[in-house]
Amino acid sequence: MAGNNALYVRRRIANIVALLLSSLATLIGLFFLAWILWETLKQGISALSPTLFTKITAYGEDGGLANAMVGSLLINFIGIAIATPIGVMAGMWLAEYANRSKLGASVRFLNDILLSAPSIVLGLFVYTIVVLPMKNLTDGAITFSGLAGGIALSLIALPVVVRTTDEMLRLVPSTLREAALSLGVPQWKLTMQILVRSARSGIITGVLLALARISGETAPLLFTAFGNNYMSLNPIDKMASLPQVIYQYANDPGEGLHAIAWAGAFVVTMFVLLLSLGSRLLFARSKVSND
Amino acid sequence: MTDPAFSPAPAAEAAMVHAGNGTPAPAKITVRDLNFFYNGFHALKGISMDIPEKQVTAIIGPSGCGKSTLLRIFNRIYNIYPKLEAKGEIVLDGENILDPKYSLNRLRSKVGMVFQKPVPFPMTIFENVAYGIRHHERLGRAEMENRVEQALRSAALWDEVKDKLKQNALGLSGGQQQRLCIARGIALKPEVLLLDEPTSALDPIATSRIEQLVEELKADFTIVIVTHNMQQAARCSDQTAFMYLGELIEFDKTEKIFTKPNKKQTEDYITGRFG
Repeated sequence: MAGNNALYVRRRIANIVALLLSSLATLIGLFFLAWILWETLKQGISALSPTLFTKITAYGEDGGLANAMVGSLLINFIGIAIATPIGVMAGMWLAEYANRSKLGASVRFLNDILLSAPSIVLGLFVYTIVVLPMKNLTDGAITFSGLAGGIALSLIALPVVVRTTDEMLRLVPSTLREAALSLGVPQWKLTMQILVRSARSGIITGVLLALARISGETAPLLFTAFGNNYMSLNPIDKMASLPQVIYQYANDPGEGLHAIAWAGAFVVTMFVLLLSLGSRLLFARSKVSND
Repeated sequence: MTDPAFSPAPAAEAAMVHAGNGTPAPAKITVRDLNFFYNGFHALKGISMDIPEKQVTAIIGPSGCGKSTLLRIFNRIYNIYPKLEAKGEIVLDGENILDPKYSLNRLRSKVGMVFQKPVPFPMTIFENVAYGIRHHERLGRAEMENRVEQALRSAALWDEVKDKLKQNALGLSGGQQQRLCIARGIALKPEVLLLDEPTSALDPIATSRIEQLVEELKADFTIVIVTHNMQQAARCSDQTAFMYLGELIEFDKTEKIFTKPNKKQTEDYITGRFG
């Protein structure tokens, strides 16, 4: 009995130590998140005013970020609009048609490489295959553009969408496939009408996470959308974006611009945070309703 | 060996099992020397049996004996996985369904299947039943509503769902979901209905409803049911096949299998000595 008691005491101590260490790790993670939010808020609070959302960057320290916010929304929208259909279809192909094939495994592997490709490389790539040819074709009338920026961001979002679609579809139990196929329904109908429907919330979550991922990207936009001090809604014109303006303002010696950059950083961080929370809520709710 | 209805299995000459008072029921499905391989593993060994029309045939046996495998060959659902191979003959209405030329579309509209766990599609109750019909037939709205109602009535579900046909099927209880899956299967008007342990995920009340339903459905369908539950086989089947290690040990009238089986293995299994 004594031996057993010693064993239990040892286990209890090990349990307490493990609990303490993992709680500590969680606290460290949360601490930095809170600190980042707090610091951006503190530094940017002086610039967090209605003019931040109404005035454009052309006014400098007296201006706001309206053109950069609109530009960011447009460029992100272009990026997601390109990445979603291609990514979902590719994910469907991987999960339903090529799941066990060698080709499928290779594509999955290449997709993972794209997932971790440095974003500046993708920016340079789009600069070479979109910006330069456009410049040559139009005799310099069109060079940098919001469209090119969107294409660069779509290359970052694409592997995220492919990966989540593939994984979500593979989570659908095979019994659902068997049930549909045993009604004589062909594979494409099964995929498009039943499997995608049952993996829908997971796929939407993936798209939202991809959007969150590209919202903060700076490097690919420097060579593609370039930036613009005025409001531009024309996708083939130079376009401002929040990360690019933050980058520019943070490098400026002017104190007033720093405050605006901090405020911009706060807006981007909150946007990403809300997107992540939204996608989590969506996914959690769908899980409950499936049980 | 005085009973002419008895035939030792597996034997290629397995005679028809007699229904009722010695009147032979015509065979709906004739299995001849069926062998099945999972990636080279010999899972079914020389199965031969005649499944009579509009009766309930139960397949029992311990886990891994091949009973579900056998059932899954009847509609060739195994075809969706690679490296599985069936050799031999399964004749349905005079045609060998294992012939690669036999259309899967046609086979699956003739042979419906219900699975162990209820798997409703993520859509409304109405759509769940209409979905399969729509793939095989073009029907007008009124006609479709009629067909769906009929199917739900035959599956003894209509009264419970008639006021919420537009609701998501995932909101139904497990027993209701399973009856919905049966409705979905019979909505296509198949001739054969395969049930793969249809009640193993259900509570006793839902189970008895399904068993009652099986009893009613045999007026219109040839039913093959795989079950782990021997009482279930005894209660609702007309003949019972006992399988062990990929072989068909004995196949006879249910009453005979459960009262005086011919093989010792069968007796050991139904009396609970193994398995």
